[in-house]
Order: sequence, then structure tokens, then C-alpha cells
Amino acid sequence: MAARGKIKKTFTDPIGKNNPVFAQVLGICSTLAVTNKLENTVIMSLGVIFTTTLSGVTISALRKLIPGRVRMMAETLIIASFVIIVDITLRAYMPDVWQQLGPYVGLIITNCIIMGRAEAFAMNNSPGLSLIDGLSSGIGYTYVLIVIAFFRELMGTGELWGITILGDWWTNWAIMVMPPGAFFMLAIFVWVVKGVIIKEEEAAK
Amino acid sequence: MKQESMFSTRVYPVLFMVALTAVFISVVSGIFLTTEERVRLNESIFQKRAVLYAAGIEFPRDNPQKIQEIYEKRVQEVGGEDGQPDYFRIELPSGESGYAVYVRGAGLWGEIVSIFGFRPDLETFTGVEFVEQNETPGLGARITEQWYKEQFRGKNGPFQLVAEGASDAPNELDALTGASRTSEAVLKIANKAAEKAQETVQQGGE
Repeated sequence: MAARGKIKKTFTDPIGKNNPVFAQVLGICSTLAVTNKLENTVIMSLGVIFTTTLSGVTISALRKLIPGRVRMMAETLIIASFVIIVDITLRAYMPDVWQQLGPYVGLIITNCIIMGRAEAFAMNNSPGLSLIDGLSSGIGYTYVLIVIAFFRELMGTGELWGITILGDWWTNWAIMVMPPGAFFMLAIFVWVVKGVIIKEEEAAK
Repeated sequence: MKQESMFSTRVYPVLFMVALTAVFISVVSGIFLTTEERVRLNESIFQKRAVLYAAGIEFPRDNPQKIQEIYEKRVQEVGGEDGQPDYFRIELPSGESGYAVYVRGAGLWGEIVSIFGFRPDLETFTGVEFVEQNETPGLGARITEQWYKEQFRGKNGPFQLVAEGASDAPNELDALTGASRTSEAVLKIANKAAEKAQETVQQGGE
């Protein structure tokens, strides 16, 4: 039972109160950079989920072999390899998307969530648990980005996934697709989640 | 305190990193090599699509074989190195012999690389395709949208910018609302395109 409880906690924590973006404030660089188009956000997020999950498993499986002194080098190498695999795959099979995402895919390597989970979780837990942790950290990152991208693209361009949603009456908020729009949206998101939802939960206890 | 052996502190970490690097590099290289052909094909189709689009020749967007076929029939690459010709000689839909050249210029965040298509006079555009750009998504990056690129067809410079959606005369270009710097960058590129084309084609011996 205890094991199942741990699995559940490992899965729900990064999605809920220990979310990598709004609780740990990791991965902010890409949160700000890619969220002005929903399509790019979703593909970037899939890349991050893939990388966090597989790097978590691999690092966890090797954790007893990795010497403490060079563990960060080893982690970076493993993470970078998975990211390059994503990059090559996109380039070969989804060239149009790859063109649009450009350097962002490579930047997944520097996404702090992946390194953070490797250091904090995968180095100390079994591959199975690390897989769940990586997957849920990726999902926790993804849904926050999708919410932000939804509002940024919609308000900034009147479109979603490139399809016009708001008619001619809508004046595009140019600031939403520019970097400041991301700061505003992220701040509002953190405020709503922490101020309203998490506070209510605490009050209920 | 227990002394760690020389092997575990010095030798093992090095051996471990060498082995780990070898394994991962092999995997990544393997994937790279298996997809290399496909990537090269994608790149070449991407360039071909751009040239055909700039020349105003219709093609099925998602059919690489057909694109290849139309391209081979209509386009002749002149000079330059493999994959990067100096210019393209094209049989236009009107039956005339047109040209296309690469034109580069500074954008807001990075270089904008475009292919401009020309009628035989080397003055009038048949169209343009932006093959590389790093403009602000949602603002400047709208230069890659269909309506924006379509406005170049049949126009000739020197150009001036007018408000978005207002261009009418053959020397007017729509600016993009909220992306003045990008609009100006494209204006500059469009203004030097004809000169660049004439120079390149002349050097090519025509």
C-alpha cells in the first residue's frame, strides 16, 4: 500500500502543489519564449515530456554507477543526447514544425526542470518511480504552458493553432505575443493558482 | 576517515565518462545517419517549394515527388555550389523565362533570407518566399503568411510602405501593424532585390 501511495504522490505532486513551473519556478525561460503560439507550445512540451521521462529513467538506472564527482556531466550528456534525438526526429519527420521551433528544441537541454528532476529525484529513486516523476513533471510543465499559450495566442492574434477564432471586431493585443505578455500571463497564472486555489485548500484543512 | 582509493576518485570517473560518451554518441550518430537522407531530401524539397512559389508556379504542397517533377521541368539551377546555386532560371507560367535569386538582409532579431522571383525584365517580381527569418512570432513573423507574400506578385520597386491592407499601386508594400522594424527590413530587402538579381544574372553570363 505504501508503495502505491508513493507512486500516486510521485505522479500528482509535480502536477499539483509541487508544479515545476508555478511552484518551483523552473523552466521559465522556455515558458516565456515559446508560449506565443499554441502549436509551438504543444510540440515543445512533447519534447520536454519525452526528455524528462527518458532521461529520468536512464539516469536512475545508472545512478549507482555514476561517480558523484562527475554526476552533473553525466546527467547533461544523457539529457543532451535525448534532446538531440528529438531535434533530429523533428527535422526528419516534421520539417515544417522544426523550421518554426528553430533553436528552441536545442534549448530543451538547458531546461532546468530536466536537470532539476535528475538531481533531485532520479539520482535517489528507482527507474520506475523516476519514469513516473519525469512523465508527471513534463505534464505539469505542459499544462501550465498550454494555458498561457492559449490566452497569449488568442488575445495577441485572435487565432488559436493558426485558425482565426475572434472576428474583425477584436483588436489584437500585440503585447501578448511579445515577451512582456509572457511575464504578465505567467504572473497572473501563478497568482490565481497560489492565491486562490492553494489558499482555499489550506483553509479547508 | 576512510581514504578512497586512487582508482575510485581519479580513474573510474574518467573511464566512466569516456564509456558513457561513447555509448550516447553512438546512439545519436546512428539516429542521425539513418535519418540523414530524409533530412537532406526535406531541405532540398523546402528550397524547391520556395523557388516554385516565388516564381508563381502552382504545385501540390505535400507531394514531394510532384514538386520534384515540376521543378526539374521548369527550373534550371545556374552556377554556385551544390545545393546553393547563384540563381535559378525558370520557365514561368506565362511561358516567359524568369529568374529567382536569394536575397539576404538584416531583420529585427536575425537575418532574413528570401528568394525573389523575377519576370524577364529583372525588375518585376513574380513573387517572394522567406526561407529563413527569426522575426517576432505573431508580429514580424507574419511576413511568412500567405496574404503578405502574395502582395509582391507583379510589383516593382523602388517601394514605399503603406498601412497594412492599403497597398494598391505597383510600388507600394503593405506594412505590418505592430512590426514596423520588420516591415522596414523587408522594404530594404525588396528594394535591393532587383539590383542583386541583375548583378547575379549578369555575372552568370547572360
